[in-house]
Amino acid sequence: MSISTIKEIRRGPSGTVVEAQGDIDLRFQPEFQKALLGVCGEKPPRLVIHLGLVEYMDSSGVGTLVKISHTVKVNKGKLVLVAPNARVRSIFEITTLDKYFTILDTEEEALEI
Amino acid sequence: MPGNDVVISIKDMVKEFPTASGTPARVLDGVTLDVQRGETLVIMGGSGCGKSTMLNCLIGEYEISQGRILYQTKEMDKPGDIAQMSEVKLNQVRKRIGILFQSGALFNSMTVAENVALPLQEHSEVDDAVIDVVVTMKLQQVKMLPHRDKMPAQLSGGQKKRAGLARATALDPEILFYDEPSAGLDPVTSAAIDELMMDLSKKLNVTSVVVTHEMDSAFRIADRMVMLEKGRVLSIGPRSQFESIRDAAPESLKTVDERLINQFLNGSSEGPLTDAEGMSEFEKLIGVQ
Amino acid sequence: MSDSPAPRGEGRAGLHSAVELIGRTAARRWGDVHEQVSYIGALAILVKLTLIWCWRGLLGSQVRFRWNALLDQLVRVGVRAIPIVVLVEVFIGIILALQMAPTLASYGQLEKVADIIAIAIVRELGPLLTAIVLSGFAGASIAAEMGSMVESEEVKALRAHALNPYHFLVVPRFLATVIALVGLSVVADVVGVFGGLLTSVLVLDVSFWGYIDATQAALSLQDYLTGLFKAGVFGVLISMIACHEGLSVRGGAEGVGRATTSTVVKCIVALIGTDAVFTAMFYVWGI
Repeated sequence: MSISTIKEIRRGPSGTVVEAQGDIDLRFQPEFQKALLGVCGEKPPRLVIHLGLVEYMDSSGVGTLVKISHTVKVNKGKLVLVAPNARVRSIFEITTLDKYFTILDTEEEALEI
Repeated sequence: MPGNDVVISIKDMVKEFPTASGTPARVLDGVTLDVQRGETLVIMGGSGCGKSTMLNCLIGEYEISQGRILYQTKEMDKPGDIAQMSEVKLNQVRKRIGILFQSGALFNSMTVAENVALPLQEHSEVDDAVIDVVVTMKLQQVKMLPHRDKMPAQLSGGQKKRAGLARATALDPEILFYDEPSAGLDPVTSAAIDELMMDLSKKLNVTSVVVTHEMDSAFRIADRMVMLEKGRVLSIGPRSQFESIRDAAPESLKTVDERLINQFLNGSSEGPLTDAEGMSEFEKLIGVQ
Repeated sequence: MSDSPAPRGEGRAGLHSAVELIGRTAARRWGDVHEQVSYIGALAILVKLTLIWCWRGLLGSQVRFRWNALLDQLVRVGVRAIPIVVLVEVFIGIILALQMAPTLASYGQLEKVADIIAIAIVRELGPLLTAIVLSGFAGASIAAEMGSMVESEEVKALRAHALNPYHFLVVPRFLATVIALVGLSVVADVVGVFGGLLTSVLVLDVSFWGYIDATQAALSLQDYLTGLFKAGVFGVLISMIACHEGLSVRGGAEGVGRATTSTVVKCIVALIGTDAVFTAMFYVWGI
């Protein structure tokens, strides 16, 4: 059961892309948070979290993203979420947090804006 | 075996309570029904029909006397019978369900925010900063954010239920149980709670099981309805089926059961429900079978 | 009963009913005994579960021990009870001194008042009276609190959230009561002896240093430890009876009231009964 919630981390000139996968819930949240905070520590100008392979995310996952968004802002970077599925998107909507995040459809867009 | 989309499968559930006289009182007498994933199922019935007992059995508060209650939650590879489970296994299921109790059942010694945070603190390794964000999200969902630092004693009945709902959803449960969500609330507050329940079940795709005797509320929220009578399932079906029975004239209904449901749904004082009660008392007195 | 013909003669009827009365009373008494035994059994189960959860909380890795809850309970059970314990024990010291004085004076042994007070308070009245005060002060409030938690479905909500009520509610109250009672007994011993000293010096004209010396000579460490051991056991009794009564509340506000009253009554009977047993044991063993 030791499936990582992080599939790949790609570092590029315009920013770092973190590709997440699987279920981000209470069981995997600590690991997810640790990985993201590690990337934040590198202070990339832009942090793109690709959620395309994330099947399910619970409130603690969203909570983690809120915390990461704060850290990125402190580092004067930019956080972009990419391609969440309908279920993941709805949990942002129900909490009205979608207003505070930049959510885009593709990674290319995310690296361009 | 329940199919893929069945969350709870109840089979021949019997619950008996010991009595002073020795013969146990059978409160649930062979209940069989399935709860589908994502639906809102309303369990109705008059007082003493066994609906609260049924809720208590479903949440593992009472041990059932016979039958089985199969749960299929996300983490389970195959359905598990909570009647046969160890406490540890049962607690795994309990973490996947949320319950809104009649009075909210908030822990009175803690603030609203602490109440919501407690399940997260106890059941996860999530750090306090993230828990704080989750608590804020949950309270925002039920519009209780301005009251986060109040003690339960300072809240109104409706606010307690909202806070209770926030706590029930703290661990993102798959199934939400509601025990008389309208009890003790004025019609407007009650409608607001109904609205919230529907909002949550649609957006979060949770399965809801609601025990109530408030018909207005039941017809607002239900996808399917169950009518219990004397510990048995009298009728189960989609809301529309019950609506047509409700709106029919009692004389036009063919079976006693339908007339009985009609009487209950309309809340009228005359019909088979009250007749039966009156008759049986006389029968006892006179001694006819 | 109704099948057998009723006896005709007056005497036989009287005898019959007398036998019946004895039989019924015996049956009822037996019922009472049965009830007492099952109550003690229920308490024993509660003690066992509480100890298991203490163990898991303090030494296991799966559950987090709730230090804050323990601290809250210590303040509530122990710290808040200090003034009333001090007051009661001072009075007891005064009463003992005044009660003993005439008898001792008639033997010309008035200075022995210090010995009697020291032994009586340290071995017996310090722990016992503190425990009795605490059963009214803390026992009743624990029972009432737990009872209203049962009534407001809080206990059910704990279980529904996969949280164990023993771990959450019983363990902190149990540990706090035991610790508080031992601590308060130390206070009680000091204050009780002080009450006796005050009276002896001011009223009975015993010399201050004479009293202190006599007290020191009269007491051994053993006296002190038997007293504190009893205090610990009393703490177990009070907390377990209070939690048991509270958790078995049925029937609304009235039930909570009943639980409170019966906690105090049962605590006092259990405390004095246990004390008698211990004292007898210590006497036989010569401790």
